[in-house]
Amino acid sequence: MFKSLAVHNLSIMASKPQRLRHLAESTVLQAAAAKKPRTMTTNAAASDSDPNPMKEAFSKYASYLNDLNDKRERVVKASRDITMNSKKVIFQVHRISKNNKEEVLEKAEKDLAAVMDQHIARLVKELQGTDFWKLRRAYSPGVQEYIEAATLCNFCKTGSLLNLDQINASLQPLSDPSVEPLQINLLDYLLGLADLTGELMRLAIGRISDGELEFAQKICRFVREIYRELLLIAPKMEDSSDMKSKMDVMLQSVMKIENACFSVHVRGSEYIPLLGSEDTSFSLLGVPEME
Amino acid sequence: MKSVFRSAICTTLSFSLRSLNPTPPLSLLPPHLAFLHHKPSPFTSMASGGGEIGPQAPSSPTVHTLEKQFDEFRHQLDDSGSLRERIRSVAQEIESATRLTQSSLLLIHQSRPIPEVLEKAKGQIGVVRELFSKLADIIREYPGQYYRYHGDWKSETQTVVSLLAFMHWLETGALLLHAEAEEKLGLKPSEFGLDIEDYLVGICFMSNDLPRYVVNQVTAGDYDCPRKVMKFLTDLHAAFRMLNLRNDFLRKKFDGMKYDLRRVEEVYYDVKIRGLATNGDTKGELGDVGQS
Repeated sequence: MFKSLAVHNLSIMASKPQRLRHLAESTVLQAAAAKKPRTMTTNAAASDSDPNPMKEAFSKYASYLNDLNDKRERVVKASRDITMNSKKVIFQVHRISKNNKEEVLEKAEKDLAAVMDQHIARLVKELQGTDFWKLRRAYSPGVQEYIEAATLCNFCKTGSLLNLDQINASLQPLSDPSVEPLQINLLDYLLGLADLTGELMRLAIGRISDGELEFAQKICRFVREIYRELLLIAPKMEDSSDMKSKMDVMLQSVMKIENACFSVHVRGSEYIPLLGSEDTSFSLLGVPEME
Repeated sequence: MKSVFRSAICTTLSFSLRSLNPTPPLSLLPPHLAFLHHKPSPFTSMASGGGEIGPQAPSSPTVHTLEKQFDEFRHQLDDSGSLRERIRSVAQEIESATRLTQSSLLLIHQSRPIPEVLEKAKGQIGVVRELFSKLADIIREYPGQYYRYHGDWKSETQTVVSLLAFMHWLETGALLLHAEAEEKLGLKPSEFGLDIEDYLVGICFMSNDLPRYVVNQVTAGDYDCPRKVMKFLTDLHAAFRMLNLRNDFLRKKFDGMKYDLRRVEEVYYDVKIRGLATNGDTKGELGDVGQS
């Protein structure tokens, strides 16, 4: 008797959160959210005689802040998912080796497309019709990580830099044509590029140990170009302190690649028999103390 | 130990460019390690830019498109830089106009009659209004970027709101609402509105001024003032408690408001316990607004 009652209770308790969650997921939530401020205002109206005239106005501010914070929270979540999954893409790219290039990159691209379809699409939907700059701080980390993954994939495939316009063009289909589409701003793009060099450094070191010196040198040239260009741009960026520290890290990465290329060049010249004459000038310029 | 080592490497590196003698410690390290430990310096960055592969690189088409994109970025950033300068200069003008208002308004603490003080302070508001419309004009050229540059006029706006709200309270005894503040500043929410969080921060700033006002009013013999201010602040504090705040600046300001309230309560208590407040009974609330 008792037992069955308890079981009954339990089942009620178990079903309740379920039902609540179900409610929360459906559009009822929105209705509830819309209702909440209304009940607040009616409260305020009812207590009009007892004098706090500010409450009515403040209930408006409260619902504004609630909406904004909820939205920010959702954007942060989407950004985190983008970061996480973009990181996975980057790791996938690092699994590249001499003979599995195509399949590794194919998988990476597929994963990248999935990030776009699932998570960036969510972000786009969330930000639709608002000022993209307002919540930038909430989504910037995710976008930067995505830029990093997308440009890394693209570089491995084509050897060139994926432009911001190209990325933004790929975002176009995600958003409702009636509203202004989400465009990644150039600050996030540049910050993402700054991170890209770190990944390229890892890639270059890996390629060298795999004997793909050619590829490593290609990376080296590419990274140098990016560093050179960013050097001119970094001081112009708004709140550039973040970029400044990234520039230092970037230079370290560039030099690590150069040094790795150098040590293979100097010590392992048997691996790469044909090297141009200008390479000797490099060793003269870079390490004169060897003489 | 390590840093000594490193600085030795640094100096030898910069000297070695001028083909001076290499110092002994370097031979202990493989040359690529020496590079790794070397801190970034203009010399190395130049070397990395114009290294041995450098000369052949710009000829390739990918580098060309790369350069083109970055050139464009540079222009865009230059544009936004000069835009920010324009915004900053207007914001500075707002700041100094606000300061004039504030200084006229401060006469309230020297127990000048309210209408006189308000009239003087209001004189500057027209200027502020004009400056805000100038700011709106600038932002209108860049639709959808209000919040990109918002930080550049934010704190000025908050101060303006606090002054307006204080003046409004002196005049009417009521709180200046967000829509009213927008109206006073001549802002249109559709294009260049007043950010609600800025408004709320401004209101918190105003609350910070109230204890001083109360103290000086009592000193000047207005014993009813503490009760009025206390009621207003209590209501305001209660209203603020309706907001779900994040851990941000506004939250910090709101947390500070209770100290203002406490100070006003103390003054009220001091006055009341000495029987100075003649009609200072909490029940006598009829028509006491804006009569002081």
